[in-house]
Amino acid sequence: MNTIPQASIKSLLLSCLTSIVLAAIILLVAVLPAEYNIDPTGLGEKFGLTALAQTTDTAPHIDISTCTDSKSPTESLWKDSVKITIPANKGLEYKFHITKGEVFEFVWNTDGTKLYFDFHGEPQGDTTGYFKSFKETTDNQSSGTLSVPFTGSHGWYWENKSTQAVIINLKTRGNYKILGLR
Amino acid sequence: MYLPNKQSALVIGLFLLIFNIGCFAHGVDSNTEKFLTNNTGSAIGPFLYIGAKHMVTGYDHLLFLIGVIFFLFRTRDILIYVSLFTLGHSLTLLFGVLNHINVNAYLIDAVIAFSIIYKGFDNLGGFKKLLGFQPNTKIAVVIFGLFHGFGLATKLQDFALPQESLITNMIAFNIGVEIGQCIALLFILTLLGFWRRHKSYFAFSKGSNTLLMTGGLVLLGYQLTGYFSA
Repeated sequence: MNTIPQASIKSLLLSCLTSIVLAAIILLVAVLPAEYNIDPTGLGEKFGLTALAQTTDTAPHIDISTCTDSKSPTESLWKDSVKITIPANKGLEYKFHITKGEVFEFVWNTDGTKLYFDFHGEPQGDTTGYFKSFKETTDNQSSGTLSVPFTGSHGWYWENKSTQAVIINLKTRGNYKILGLR
Repeated sequence: MYLPNKQSALVIGLFLLIFNIGCFAHGVDSNTEKFLTNNTGSAIGPFLYIGAKHMVTGYDHLLFLIGVIFFLFRTRDILIYVSLFTLGHSLTLLFGVLNHINVNAYLIDAVIAFSIIYKGFDNLGGFKKLLGFQPNTKIAVVIFGLFHGFGLATKLQDFALPQESLITNMIAFNIGVEIGQCIALLFILTLLGFWRRHKSYFAFSKGSNTLLMTGGLVLLGYQLTGYFSA
């Protein structure tokens, strides 16, 4: 256990200084430009690293009547972000309570696996089992803006027909209450 | 504080399970209804995998582990220290998730980065030289383990966790973390084992731990920048 070498103060200081200088260089030249678009030296731009930090949220919008055109959800100003795991050969619902007239913005995607999904809403207090489907298809991503037509729980039912669990990254924005998994 | 929560979570879980069978029936077409009634939200396989993957690809946890075992040569010592680390992170992982403690991910990752710097400095003999004594390495590994566990809890809570099988999924995640840790350690120890046979291991130990500190500092800068710019 006591094989930890005895260091002299000088070599200890040298080690600490070296690591601080190295870390500073790596941070300033590579990590900060690539991750946060902070580029104090200008080298990140030169190496094309700052391109990595620019958000590429150019997802297509939904073309259905209840959904108004999404003004390309620009920066990552999402209110909530959640990862939802859909086990293999299972289906799950994730819902939000939203009142009539609110605007609900969303974007989700999987790792590439396509899922059958039904984006729908159920009016509050309804017991007949009625639901309105806004979009029902099979895809690996979806995004858009929904002008909520009635007060109630709105959200997705996803079905994973593959043999592997699929993780969905869902980002949302608007005035709502998260009901979560159902 | 711990047990009652676990029990109440179980009761709520059972309640939700019963309640949900009726609830599931609406909102989806009859074709898919059977999938929902079958699904209790427990997904042991996926959460095992997520836990293991998080550890195997979690360079912050791995750098800390490398630091911890750097000067451990006996299998017994390695087992003791790794068990202490496991004890630490499991405690806060379970506690954090059950009590819905969601620490800011940037801050907790910054503390994890600090643990790497601490261990690198420790391996350089820094504390002995600076303080005149060696702070207890076993206590340090438990305390830092606790912080690593809060990090894990925060990561796990990024996922939508169905309440009714929270405990099952959480334990699956925890076991996955330990499996991932074992796999990663096997690789690390194999590589270090080869290197240890050469004198260069000791000749380079100063350089290795300087690099370890560098890694910790880079992660610290990365996380703190994230915290202040987010």
